[in-house]
Amino acid sequence: MGILFSRLFYRLYICKRDIRILMVGLDAAGKTTILYKLKLGEVVSTLPTIGFNVERVDYKNISFTVWDVGGQTKIRSLWKYYFQFTQALIFVVDSSDHERIETAAEELHMMLAEDEMRDAILLVLANKQDLPKAMSTQELTDRLGLHKMRGRQWFVQGACAVQGSGLYEGLDWLSDQLSKR
Amino acid sequence: MQSPSAVVVFISVELEQLAARVFVENTDKIQLEGLRPGQTGTGYPPVPLISHLSPNPDEPEVQLNNECTEPQRLKFEISEVMTEIEQLTCVRDTKSSQRSKQIAVGRKKFNMDPKKGIQFLLENDLLQQTPEDIAQFLYKGEGLNKTVIGDYLGERDEFNIRVLQAFVELHEFADLNLVQALRQFLWSFRLPGEAQKIDRMMEAFAARYCQCNPGVFQSTDTCYVLSFSVIMLNTSLHNPNVRDKPTVERFICMNRGINEGGDLPEELLRPQLCAEGASSAFTSHAARRLESCEFHQTEERRILECRISSPMFLSEHSLSGNLLEEGNLYESIKNEPFKIPEDDGNDLTHTFFNPDREGWLLKLGLSLRLITSDKEPRGIIPLENLSIREVEEPRKPNCFELYNPSHKGQVIKACKTEADGKVVEGNHVVYRISAPTLEEKEEWIKSIKASISRDPFYDMLATRKRRVATKK
Repeated sequence: MGILFSRLFYRLYICKRDIRILMVGLDAAGKTTILYKLKLGEVVSTLPTIGFNVERVDYKNISFTVWDVGGQTKIRSLWKYYFQFTQALIFVVDSSDHERIETAAEELHMMLAEDEMRDAILLVLANKQDLPKAMSTQELTDRLGLHKMRGRQWFVQGACAVQGSGLYEGLDWLSDQLSKR
Repeated sequence: MQSPSAVVVFISVELEQLAARVFVENTDKIQLEGLRPGQTGTGYPPVPLISHLSPNPDEPEVQLNNECTEPQRLKFEISEVMTEIEQLTCVRDTKSSQRSKQIAVGRKKFNMDPKKGIQFLLENDLLQQTPEDIAQFLYKGEGLNKTVIGDYLGERDEFNIRVLQAFVELHEFADLNLVQALRQFLWSFRLPGEAQKIDRMMEAFAARYCQCNPGVFQSTDTCYVLSFSVIMLNTSLHNPNVRDKPTVERFICMNRGINEGGDLPEELLRPQLCAEGASSAFTSHAARRLESCEFHQTEERRILECRISSPMFLSEHSLSGNLLEEGNLYESIKNEPFKIPEDDGNDLTHTFFNPDREGWLLKLGLSLRLITSDKEPRGIIPLENLSIREVEEPRKPNCFELYNPSHKGQVIKACKTEADGKVVEGNHVVYRISAPTLEEKEEWIKSIKASISRDPFYDMLATRKRRVATKK
């Protein structure tokens, strides 16, 4: 009982786990908006740096470091080195982009096929749900072929980054899953 | 902008043409070329002479034909043309100042929204719709915000990609090593943070670099992947959000992966090159590391040798010392991060664009607003070293003010846009702002407080200024 309590205490107050997360998605899916929406309300006082968008988001007991990742296959080998032992992948998809949904699905599965990703859990943020032609989370699940995956925890969360809705729900799922580990 | 002398030349040529027409063609149908009011856009003064000279049978000119003798008529016409040309010069002058004004408007629009700005410049014939012309405009960058240039160049649109390529072509990278060339390139615009945009930009950069420096890299792809990798390195080493900073070994390791990707000819990785390359091309740093770290020595040497034997160091050029090898490259980036490019000119409205992250404010009417992308700021007050407090103001409700706590009476650095579009410096020691409601006031105070930053340099400067002033 004592051990259990101290463990709980540790989880709640002392240990702020550092979790490295990759954020992937096609151009204009809304990654940057999401990244900065999550930072809203926090004072960003750091000196700006030339390079990739990276933000640290503290939420619940987890400190998420989110990298905007992407580019052609040729540079994928570089990311591998940076993201060994990545615990989670956020895949952002523009729900209203019917034309490129297949491309998005390919991109997603290619990413998940990487060896470094074998233990990563997957959060799909179905962004731009506010747009009239947006596909439902159900439809996206089908078209992204998520049911076909074996042995991976995944979750699709509807979101609208511009309004900020759905983002924290997504983080909730991530932190729940990650703290079970 | 057309210079005044150019205008004069143009006019005199036109005069000759006109005179020639008058004499040779002997006709009353004279048209001034190049002066079509319909084309000049808005804001041009009306040019009544045009209609006067137009070939219109109802006009009194036609009657002249019947009443005057030919020489008289010609004389009359020529004198008329002369006055007209005088007036035309006038119009040209206003036209050129009008043009420069419109370019200034275009630049401002560009800084607010690059697409709209370019559209405006195209519509007003101030730019041609070719990637080269637009690239030239961005490369010169006069009065343009470099973050916005980066946004425009980063767009996925096919046309924008062509502009990006044309833009990169304007850079000269000959005899620069990769990092030097990257530094130069990344000074001409602010690199966006989106991975896909960086990807496109590095690809374009690599193509140009290899074009300027044939033989340094075996393939543009190697150059492209390494450039991309350098940007990742800069991010990891200098972005405070990244906690674990990669070591030189990891960086080298990571780039070894480039070759294992498989698209490089195998003969380039032949081991005999290691021996030649490794001894001469080790950086002192890498070598030192190898000595100091006995435990990993063999492994590291293997990695480094493998790396140095790889295609990017194959040419004599690169092995002879003017080279870019990872040890060097790593050190260079570690010691000197890529600088945030500064914008051209002193016009403060161009300086900042991302107020959420940079902490500048916009005064709009009575309330303070953050700059939004489609609104021109009425004025900008940099918040460095300022303080904010509530004040009672008898005439206006919910007031607060920005003041300089350490140097009372010192003019606060600020600027505003006047009605005619000119940006002038502010000359106030305090800025008072009234919010529409009490809640908004509190919100403003809170968010402004959060955005205020301190830079000791400004205080030093202010003390210095005061000392100079009292000495006088």
